[in-house]
Amino acid sequence: MNYTMVRRLIGKDWYFNRAALGAYVGVGIASLLMLALGGETAFFAGSVLLITALIAVGIHLVMVTVVYERTNQTLAFVMTLPIDAREYTTAKVVANLAIFGLAWTTLFVGTAAVIAGRGAIPDGLIPYSATILGEIFAAYCLILAVAIVSESTNWTIGAIVLGNLMVQAVMFIVGNVPAVAADLKTNVVVWREPIVAVLGIELAVAVLAIASTFYLQSRKTDFV
Amino acid sequence: MTSAAVHLQGVAKRYPHFTLDGIDLVLPHGQILGFIGPNGAGKSTTLRILMGLVHQDEGSVEVLGHSMPAAQATAKREIGFASEDLRLYGAATLAWHMGFVASIYPSWDAGYAEQLLRRFDLKSEQRIKGMSHGQRVKASLLLILARRPRLLVLDEPTTGLDPVARHEVLAELMAVLADESRTVLFSSHNTLDVEQISDQIAFIDRGRIIAAGDKESFLDRWRRLRLAVPSGVELPAVPGAVITPSSPHLAVVTTDRFEPALAAAYSDAGATVQAVEPMTLEEIFVTNVQWRRA
Repeated sequence: MNYTMVRRLIGKDWYFNRAALGAYVGVGIASLLMLALGGETAFFAGSVLLITALIAVGIHLVMVTVVYERTNQTLAFVMTLPIDAREYTTAKVVANLAIFGLAWTTLFVGTAAVIAGRGAIPDGLIPYSATILGEIFAAYCLILAVAIVSESTNWTIGAIVLGNLMVQAVMFIVGNVPAVAADLKTNVVVWREPIVAVLGIELAVAVLAIASTFYLQSRKTDFV
Repeated sequence: MTSAAVHLQGVAKRYPHFTLDGIDLVLPHGQILGFIGPNGAGKSTTLRILMGLVHQDEGSVEVLGHSMPAAQATAKREIGFASEDLRLYGAATLAWHMGFVASIYPSWDAGYAEQLLRRFDLKSEQRIKGMSHGQRVKASLLLILARRPRLLVLDEPTTGLDPVARHEVLAELMAVLADESRTVLFSSHNTLDVEQISDQIAFIDRGRIIAAGDKESFLDRWRRLRLAVPSGVELPAVPGAVITPSSPHLAVVTTDRFEPALAAAYSDAGATVQAVEPMTLEEIFVTNVQWRRA
């Protein structure tokens, strides 16, 4: 593995996406301020804005770093550099996870801090929020995997739609588990079995998506 | 390990609607190979296989002593590849690209890059998306030439260029080729470009190499004979010569194995040889393709 080349490619993706990342994180921080300072309406709007910002940064990253690289034919430029498919895949996965992970971690920690720090918001929301943000992360890994392997705009859009439906499904299903629903109104943080199970599934989806990416890329024979 | 810069043997690649088959190609070090074929003949696929970007289904590919596609990462350190469908990052400047490439290749020659900027009339601070097609092609060439690769693989580099830009690009390539250690594989459907700069020629059509050899012998071997053929005279059948009647008493003979004895044979048969004309590379290529397709 040529780690120097992998680092160069990660640096390239960081260079091209740092401004957009800053903008999305800025929107995310604004949504956290709404959660921290506003009333009930601002809390609802801030929650929607936070989820939207995270989903949007993921879509932006995958489209710009993977799909557009194919459609804009810059992939040919990248693949003529002294790298092979494994190094390209490693660079893409690491760059995406690092950049998205930065935004995700910032907003996840911010969300937990706002919930824990503001008396008016029940602390019992933290596990529920973790499942939603965890689902956004898992969906992101799935979308990234589909984009890298298929290099197709259509397949990637399909994965985006599926990922977002799954976010809605997690919000609905987990929120309607009676024990979890009851915890949402208390100030006690309880990691109940359904919450842990959902987090486990989300982690498994993320790991499986990334592992499948490396496996399927290793079997690919055409790169431009 | 072979002593040739490029050695393809029995290379095949199958797609649902196109097959590249039995490609054998040898390019010695320091030579310039013009790879000529119509659109869709398999030129780009062959060059991509050579670069490791597309993996062959069968056959072996060795480039600068590296087996492809397995050793592509190492081989590509010494190969400069430009293709008409390769794009640079539109949002970035040429200076960013130069810095990026320089950070990857220790062989990057900053002085030569500056020379090329002036020669190609490019501005390094200009964003790629603001450049014309010709400027983009020249920018791509600058990025590969300034790192002084041992092998240049150029896939239709002059396609879509205006005559001035084409002349500038070809002139620079000629200058690069003055370095005899540099090997170049240059694909085009423009035979004039290939004729100007190549030592070796390979014709490809419908996924197969139909002829290959050094350019001078191609030009020497191919001739068109114009004959006056009186009534009752039958022209002898000669291997490698195709007779095309052009009027009741005139015929054109095209051959890829010309020697003075051929003209003598037609004279002896009673025909009058009115002219023995050399053929351009384009005429040779078109005739070759027509013969193979017939």
